[in-house]
Amino acid sequence: MKRLLSSIRDGRGFDVVLVAFPLGFLFLMAGLPLLYNVLMSFQEVDMFSLGTFLRPFVGLKNYRDLFAQPETLPILVNTAIFVTGSIAGQFLLGFGLALFFWVNFPGASWLRGLFLVSWVMPGLVVGAIWNWILSGDFGVLNFILRESGVISGNIFWRSDPNYSLYAVIMANIWLGTAFNMILLSVGLSGIPTDLYEAAELDGANAWQRFWTITLPMMRSTIGAIIALGLIFTLQQFDLFAAITSGGPNNSSNVTQYWAWEQSFRQYDFAKGATISVLMIIFVMIASVVYVRSTRHEVRG
Amino acid sequence: MGIRKYAVIGALALAGVSLFGLSARAEDVKLTVWSLDRDIQPAPNLVAEFNKLNNGIQIEYRQIQFDDVVSEAMRAYSTGQAPDIIAIDNPEHALFSSRGAFLDLTDMISTSTVIKPENYFPGPLKSVEWDGKYYGVPKATNTIALYYNKDMFKAKGLDPNKPPQTWDELVDAARKLTDPAANVYGLAFSAKANEEGTFQFLPWAQMGGGSYENINTEGAVKALEIWKTIIGEKLASPDTLTRGQWDSTGTFNSGNAAMAISGPWELDRMTQEAKFDWGVTLLPVPKEGAERSSAMGDFNWAIFASSKHPAEAFKALEFFASQDDKMFKNYGQLPARSDISIPETGQPLKDAALKVFLEQLKYAKPRGPHPEWPKISKAIQDAIQAALTGQATPKEALDQAAEKIKAVLG
Repeated sequence: MKRLLSSIRDGRGFDVVLVAFPLGFLFLMAGLPLLYNVLMSFQEVDMFSLGTFLRPFVGLKNYRDLFAQPETLPILVNTAIFVTGSIAGQFLLGFGLALFFWVNFPGASWLRGLFLVSWVMPGLVVGAIWNWILSGDFGVLNFILRESGVISGNIFWRSDPNYSLYAVIMANIWLGTAFNMILLSVGLSGIPTDLYEAAELDGANAWQRFWTITLPMMRSTIGAIIALGLIFTLQQFDLFAAITSGGPNNSSNVTQYWAWEQSFRQYDFAKGATISVLMIIFVMIASVVYVRSTRHEVRG
Repeated sequence: MGIRKYAVIGALALAGVSLFGLSARAEDVKLTVWSLDRDIQPAPNLVAEFNKLNNGIQIEYRQIQFDDVVSEAMRAYSTGQAPDIIAIDNPEHALFSSRGAFLDLTDMISTSTVIKPENYFPGPLKSVEWDGKYYGVPKATNTIALYYNKDMFKAKGLDPNKPPQTWDELVDAARKLTDPAANVYGLAFSAKANEEGTFQFLPWAQMGGGSYENINTEGAVKALEIWKTIIGEKLASPDTLTRGQWDSTGTFNSGNAAMAISGPWELDRMTQEAKFDWGVTLLPVPKEGAERSSAMGDFNWAIFASSKHPAEAFKALEFFASQDDKMFKNYGQLPARSDISIPETGQPLKDAALKVFLEQLKYAKPRGPHPEWPKISKAIQDAIQAALTGQATPKEALDQAAEKIKAVLG
């Protein structure tokens, strides 16, 4: 008994406690809900059996039903477009801005801080503002495009199935660019400057320096940011709720919004859970990429 | 010092009295009421008035958000935490009554001197029925009709005293009134992919001889074709597909739409915001003399089957119903009663509109009642959106909806 106590105070027991506490916390707060969600996807869930645990087991029926629905494939495709479009836009703009501020002109760091405003704003507020910007008849975006002669008639960003998904992507890029920029700025400032000095002495031009020094040195940051971007875009819900509600005709619906719609609009909790399980798998893959990319972090 | 001493003694005495008072009141029956009404709406005020009666029943009120009513109620019921009384949206009433979650009030109503089924409009009354029994009491009611801008009618050479009465007349008028140069659309309505879209479309389908069980009748297809014409020719903003009724009617109030389909909940805002002469008329019908129909909205009162004090809860409902005659005056809502005549407000536009809405209410039909209403409604919304975005013809879209609904109805 005494040995056990002393081991907890100072020894292997202490290590075990250190590991067990966060593990227990994770299991309670994240593991159980996840498992419960997976369990629900194999059950027939009725709104009045929500409070019970043992519900009729239906095997893969929910999954089969889900893939038999005509809207499933388009929504999965939409999700893929949304994720790749958002990440590509956020990353390219963020990287461009990060490089721009890296030049370090007077007030650069101050301005860079201001860019974070978009990241700090709650998604629903961002959604409401973009809602006005994108409005068909009185929207600012249409006004600018019309006045500059890009379009002749109004584009109904939220109500035209050809544009609705891209309207949300635009808002999401605006929302996420600042975060990308900050993380990439941190990565950039971690690159030792003597590398560039040496390269300059050897006569490398700006493009060569970027291609052979900046990019390789940033590899782990970029990997991490893309993995994080994948997770964040798959979590993006508020913008859909605020701008298009997944419409019209599911043309801008994505899995995360759809799962909520199934559970809390149609009270089909099993199907909502089934969609969530599909998403868990994708997010898990992203997490693995993220963890791996941070493991090989290059430290200057 | 002396004053402070007296103050302390006084406070103690007061505490003693109130303690005594509390212990005497501990025998009061405590009820809980959930509803979405805010402080200027009926429920919290009725509860406060009821508590003032001091009749041995005290009610605790909790406000819930519109979007959370059903999920919150389900969660509470399945974990045994349900309130005694809840206000529930009428298409979702059957969801609960069919599962035995709501108390069967038929016997209590048959002996009640306050709540009499024959005093209610048939539409709202039908929404609380399940299997021939009453599982609730209509709380209020509303419906939709056609608002129109009389000034614009005059400006475009239309007779402001002869608003469109048929679908064809409506489309004609919309064509004449639409003026892209002035940013004016002929009509504003909502085809949003939520309950609002169903709420707005079902009356059209019903006038066309359809119903939710039979959504692909010829007349219903015609109705959706008219909608498609209106959207296709840009007689209404394409944003109609993603905009709710409140926002759509907002464009009418600001003079960017010449007509609008919406309900009496717009009246207060419209009297304040609309800087023009407007009127309300009954929803246009397929052709002259055709059967009228309209949507029926608003909430019902219900008592949860798990309530420990059903008799007291019913007493509270009786009190609420006894105050129905003041509902329009105090809260601007329409009681679901045919035996109450609503006094004039003194605002001519509002009073004229009220008459039309009361007339329209006679044709209001409930959505359902069916325990799986959200799924039925979703099928209809999908059809509307598929047809209006051109991804299916109105006929195809409604055929698909009919198939989905058939699967739900079993």
